[in-house]
Amino acid sequence: MQVDIQSLETFNQLAYEGAEQATAMMAQMTGIDAAVDVTKITLMDRADVGEELAGQPFVGIQFGMEGVLNGDTTLVFEERCRDPIVEALPGGSSDGDMAESSVKEIGNIMMSGFIDGWADYLETTIEHSPPEYIEATGADVLPSADGVGSEQVFVFKSHIDWPGEDLNFYIYMLPEYTEMAEVMAANADTQSDAIPVDKLSVFNQMTREGTQKAAENVTAMTGIETDAEVTQISFAPIEDVPKQVDSKSYVGTVVEFDGTPSGYLSILFDETSAMNVAEALMPMEPDGEGFTSMHESAIEEMGNIMTSGFVDGWANVLQTSVEHTPPEVVHDMGQAIMDPLAAQVGQHQTHAFIIESRMQTDDLDFSCEIHALPDDAELKQALDDLEIERKDETEADVEKIF
Amino acid sequence: MKVYDGSSGTSTESQQERLKVGIAEYEVTTSGANLTTSGLGSCLGIAMYDEAAGVAGLVHVMLPSADEVDDTNEAKFADTGIELLVSEMERAGASTRHIEAKVAGGSDMLDFSQNGSGIGVRNVEQVEETLDSLNIPIVSQDVGGDHGRSLKLDGNSGDLTVKSANKGSQII
Amino acid sequence: MPEVLIADDSEFMRNLLREILEEDHQIVGEVENGVEAVEVYKEESPDLVMMDIVMPIRDGIEATDEIKSGDPDATVIMCTSVGQEEKMKEAVKAGADGYITKPFQKPSVIEAIEDAVGA
Repeated sequence: MQVDIQSLETFNQLAYEGAEQATAMMAQMTGIDAAVDVTKITLMDRADVGEELAGQPFVGIQFGMEGVLNGDTTLVFEERCRDPIVEALPGGSSDGDMAESSVKEIGNIMMSGFIDGWADYLETTIEHSPPEYIEATGADVLPSADGVGSEQVFVFKSHIDWPGEDLNFYIYMLPEYTEMAEVMAANADTQSDAIPVDKLSVFNQMTREGTQKAAENVTAMTGIETDAEVTQISFAPIEDVPKQVDSKSYVGTVVEFDGTPSGYLSILFDETSAMNVAEALMPMEPDGEGFTSMHESAIEEMGNIMTSGFVDGWANVLQTSVEHTPPEVVHDMGQAIMDPLAAQVGQHQTHAFIIESRMQTDDLDFSCEIHALPDDAELKQALDDLEIERKDETEADVEKIF
Repeated sequence: MKVYDGSSGTSTESQQERLKVGIAEYEVTTSGANLTTSGLGSCLGIAMYDEAAGVAGLVHVMLPSADEVDDTNEAKFADTGIELLVSEMERAGASTRHIEAKVAGGSDMLDFSQNGSGIGVRNVEQVEETLDSLNIPIVSQDVGGDHGRSLKLDGNSGDLTVKSANKGSQII
Repeated sequence: MPEVLIADDSEFMRNLLREILEEDHQIVGEVENGVEAVEVYKEESPDLVMMDIVMPIRDGIEATDEIKSGDPDATVIMCTSVGQEEKMKEAVKAGADGYITKPFQKPSVIEAIEDAVGA
């Protein structure tokens, strides 16, 4: 099944416009002028969907869709948003059942706004079940992933920001994979820039191996055992790429890689994690206070080894080599680290695939994000070259060669 | 007992409206709102202010010229982004004869060798060229270097606060 | 004691290798790129070179190629984070005698040296 980049752009645009429409509906009802921050299409393990919600309380409304888009859609509000939103609704009240009913009403209208555009574009109707009210912590606010753990799905996710209040809400649309892939394939205009969807999920699995390898390298070097690793590949407008990273300060490394595919890769630690990793690596106490040049050198080497762990699997499966430049150490606002990378890629394309991995420990002494931005044309080449039966050959055997 | 009334010194500050400008976006204010944008690396923020008309605007551009990529989002490029912001400010009552510009961002913290000058430098060059062609003076700037920046344009005064991750903040 | 040259652009890695090796080896040089590696090799003719691959100015595979074409008896062990089969083949072609992938533990370094020197 082939999906072309044009149709991914179109579907991303539909999700964006749907989120805009939903936000406009809310503004009409409540006067709250929220803004759609990011909309992206992500291919990821079903079990990992919503990991970014971890630990926080949410309320939401959810309903099932039938028709060309078969699956579930959920509108998720940070719990702190609930009262101000329902109180802004004329006739709304934050008392008990009334609050629930008000959220349901707002949610229902917003979600109709979200879905209508899809139905119009696809020239069909999309039926949906009555909305169900949910209160839960973390990813439990989304439909359960029980029994579908390692299955990969497309997720359409919009992040909506309520400026001034620092409150967030999200729309997650989780269509059934097969139907979604068929809809996208049917809407492909040309075959010239088509991407084989099945291979994209194989590539995702290869990258997951790479993330695990990078995490093993962390453990081997520092003794830090990571508890969770998540890998996903997203598609978004180039100007949304830097927003994938928080605006707080990060320490990490950036490289340019060259081969099939080429692109840019950053490995970012929050400041505390960077300190912890560097000190776990250093054989002796550092000279001086704070983040010393010895810390920097340790992070540089960590970035180097993790980068290799991450990209080597691609090269081995594709029987090619992917070179990378020596890592440059960066210590700055996350978005400011990412925007030069996005701008580089943005010289040739309006949208980009973002290969994202996260790893962390439960106690959050350590967390790390990897973001790779491959060139579209070369990623397509890599997918064309990919022989699915070689997908497990991510590790090279030194003994066999030496 | 502390009495809270409307005359406390901090209340006007907290009531000043704040509008966030994302990457490849712009905002114009005629009501003295604070316009903010964060995380500029090689991207550039161009702040414009017409004191006489009381109109301020901020655009966050990513690449030098719309000629390079086929894209309809004008605010993404330095050349079309500036033209867009100027025309939106004119619609709000500003006049190019009175608009002054302040520019910040355009760092080149990463050295990607094969592409000649870094994007940060080329963004700055394009901004200078486009503003010059519109006869809009750059009255102050904080560009280049190897660090990221966040900006706040005070729509009442035209003051542009530039904050960097590790070099503190300054008003230009 | 056998003489060894360490070529790695990371100060951190040079320190680590020095600590592992200095007990049984005399370290004749620590360099940060392939050009310096070739220069110091020519001056010192050490018994062993521990060579990183990804380095600025000139990478470790090119440097190995030059060292080996000048002195076929040189012993060069690649010591790198790169775990790609094609790179390993390039290293063999350039004449490398061994290949250690980072991160490594002391025993695997010692073992790789014994294998390479023994061969």
